[in-house]
Amino acid sequence: MEAHKIVGLALGAVLVASGCGGGSSANGQTEIRFIWWGNDDRAKVTTEAVKLFESRNPNIKVSTSFQNFQNYFEKLSTEIAGGNAPDVIQMDYRYLNEYAGRNVLLDLTPYVGKEIRTADWNAGFVGSGELNGKQVAMPLAQNATTIVYDPKLFAAAGVAEPKIGWTWADYKEIAGKIQASTGGKIAGSTDFGGTEDVFETWLRQRGKALYDNGKLGYSKDDLKAFWQLSKDFRDARATTPAELVTTLNAGAEQTPMGKKLSASEHSYDSLYGGYNTVRPDELKLGPYPSDNNETLGSYRKPSQLISASARTKNKDAAVKLIDFLLNDPDAGKVLGANRGLPANLKIREAVAQNLSGANKVIFEYEKSVDAKLGDAPPAPPKGDGAIYKLMQRKHEEVVFGKKTIDQALDEFWRDAEEALK
Amino acid sequence: MPYLFLGPWLLGAIGLTVAPMVVSLYLSFTDYDLFNEPQWVGLDNYAKLFGDDPRYLQSVGVTLKYVAWSVPLKLVLALAVALLLNSLRGKGQAFFRSAFYAPSLLGASVGLALAWRAIFDTWVDLPDTSLVTIVLLSAWQFGAPMVIFLAGLQQIPRDLFDAAAVDGAGWWRKLASITLPMLSPVLFFNLVLETIHAFQAFTQAFVVSGGRGGPADSTLFYTLYLYERGFTEFRMGYASAMAWVLLVAIALITAVLFRTSRYWVFYGDER
Repeated sequence: MEAHKIVGLALGAVLVASGCGGGSSANGQTEIRFIWWGNDDRAKVTTEAVKLFESRNPNIKVSTSFQNFQNYFEKLSTEIAGGNAPDVIQMDYRYLNEYAGRNVLLDLTPYVGKEIRTADWNAGFVGSGELNGKQVAMPLAQNATTIVYDPKLFAAAGVAEPKIGWTWADYKEIAGKIQASTGGKIAGSTDFGGTEDVFETWLRQRGKALYDNGKLGYSKDDLKAFWQLSKDFRDARATTPAELVTTLNAGAEQTPMGKKLSASEHSYDSLYGGYNTVRPDELKLGPYPSDNNETLGSYRKPSQLISASARTKNKDAAVKLIDFLLNDPDAGKVLGANRGLPANLKIREAVAQNLSGANKVIFEYEKSVDAKLGDAPPAPPKGDGAIYKLMQRKHEEVVFGKKTIDQALDEFWRDAEEALK
Repeated sequence: MPYLFLGPWLLGAIGLTVAPMVVSLYLSFTDYDLFNEPQWVGLDNYAKLFGDDPRYLQSVGVTLKYVAWSVPLKLVLALAVALLLNSLRGKGQAFFRSAFYAPSLLGASVGLALAWRAIFDTWVDLPDTSLVTIVLLSAWQFGAPMVIFLAGLQQIPRDLFDAAAVDGAGWWRKLASITLPMLSPVLFFNLVLETIHAFQAFTQAFVVSGGRGGPADSTLFYTLYLYERGFTEFRMGYASAMAWVLLVAIALITAVLFRTSRYWVFYGDER
C-alpha cells in the first residue's frame, strides 16, 4: 500500500517535471511559446492565425500571450534573463539592437530564402531585419508615420484636411482655428514635442537622421528648433494642454484623440485599428506636414518584426511558425493589415483585393503617400529605448514649466550620450 | 533534531533570501546587462549614484517626501479610527473594523490603483499634485496599523481611566496622559513597520504613473527607478547597487528610530 503510493507520487513528479520543462513531450508533440504586444483586436486575429497553424501542424502546439507595448519589453527582458525566453518573439525596430546586440536572438540567416520564403518580398525590406550581416529578425509588416484626424472637426472649423504639400505653418494655423472653433474644448492637435517618432520624421524632412553610426545624428540646435516648434503650437493655442502629455504612452483609447480631446494626432497608420475600436469610422489618416516638397520624412518602417530566441530548443517549429505568419496566404487573409501592410507582396496584393473597415483606411493611406516614402534607416543603436523615454521626460519638464528649453536640452544631451555609451 | 524542524524554513531562507542577496551584492560591483557575463567595475556604480545621477537624487527626494507625508498621515488616521472603534464596544465594532480594514486588503492590487488613477484623473497628470494622490492612496489603507492600535487600546487597564475620571480628567487629558503613553510601544511598532513599508512602496506608484514615475519625474519612487534601471535599461549591476543603498538606509533609519524610542516609548514596567 505504502509502496504503491510512493511509486504514484514519483510518477506524478516525473510527469510534472516533464510538463514544466517545455519542449517536446513523449507523444511527439512540440510545444512553443509565442508572445507579442497589441490590443484585443490584434489578439483576436493573431489567435485565429495561430489556431490555423496548429491545425496544419498537429504535432506543434503554440501557447501565446500578449501585453500592451508599454509592459511588453519589461516582461520580455525579465523572462529572457530568467532563462525562460519565449521561442518566438515579436520585436520592435527600436529594440532590435538592444536584444540582438546581446546575442539573445537566433540568427535566421540560414533559413532565409529556404524555410522562410522571401521570393515574394521586396529585398530591401527583408534587409530591415538584418544587423551586422545577421538576419536577427524578419519584418512582419510595414507601417509609416501619419496624422490621424477627425474630419468633422476640420469641416466645422472650415479648414482643409491634411494633404501632401501642407506645411508645419499650415498645420499650426489650421489646428489653431479648430481649437478656437470648439471654444478651446478640443485641441487642434496633440502635443508632439516629446515623441521621438515625430522628431525623427521632422528630422528626415530636413535631410538628417536620428542616428549616424551609433551616435546622435542631429545637433542641439535641431532639437531646440523642434521643441520650439512644439512651443509655438502651445503659444498659438493650437495643441493639447500640459496635463495631457503624459497620456501618450498607453493605448489609443487613452490618448487625447481616443478621448475626443484632440482633433489631430501624430501616430502610425498601423495603430488605426486601435483608434477605430474606440471611435469607429470617425477618423481618417493624412500625411505629415512638411516644409520640404521632396519628402514627408515618413519611411517604410517595419511596424513589427518577428524573431526566434537564440536559446529555443525547437528551432524548426519556431521557424515554421515565423514562415507561416509571414507567407501563408490564409494566415495573411486572417491577419489583414492589423500590423500594417503585409511584408509578402503577393499577400499584400491579395489582402488589397478585399478590403474593408480599418484595413481599407490603412491601405489607402499608404498608397496615397507611397511615392514620398523613403527606405528605412538602419535599426537604432542600443540605448535608443532609454533615449525615447528621456525625450518624453525632458519635454514634459519644459511643458510643465519646470525647465527652460535650454536647460532641458543640456540635460537631454548629457543623458542621451550616456545612454549610447 | 530542532534543526530538522527548522530545516524547511532554513532552506527557504537561504535559497530565496540569503543567496539572492549575496548575488545582488556581488552584482552591485559589476556591469551586468542580464544576458551576458557580469563585468567587475569595483565601486563605479556607487560612485555614479551619488556623484553623477540627478535622477537618482530626484528619486531619493520623492521617496523621502512620500515617507515623511504618508507615514504620519496614515498613523494618525489609523489611531483616530481605532479610538473611535474602541469607544463602540459591542455596537457593531466588528463590522466597522472589517469595513475600515477592507481598503488595506485591496491595497496592493493593481485594480485599485487603476481606479485611483481614474478618480484623480487630472491630479495624476500634473507634477505638483501627482505625489499627493499616491500619499492619499496609501493613507487610506490604514487598516493594518488600525487593527494593531485597536488591540493595543483594548489592553489598557480600565481602572486607569476610572481613577483619572475620579480625579476629574477630561477626554483630552485621558488621551494625553493615559492612552498615548500606554499605547506608545504599539505606536513605535507601527511607526517602524510603516516606515520600512513606505520606503519600499512600488505598486501604487507604478500603476498610478503608468510605470514611468511621471509626469516630469514627480512620482519617481526609489523602487520605480531601480526597476527601470534594471529591467528596461538592462543595468542590473546599477540596480543592485541601488537596492543595497536602500537596504542600508532603511537599516540606519530603523536604528535611529530605536535610539529615540528610549525617550518616548513607555513599557509600563519602568519605575
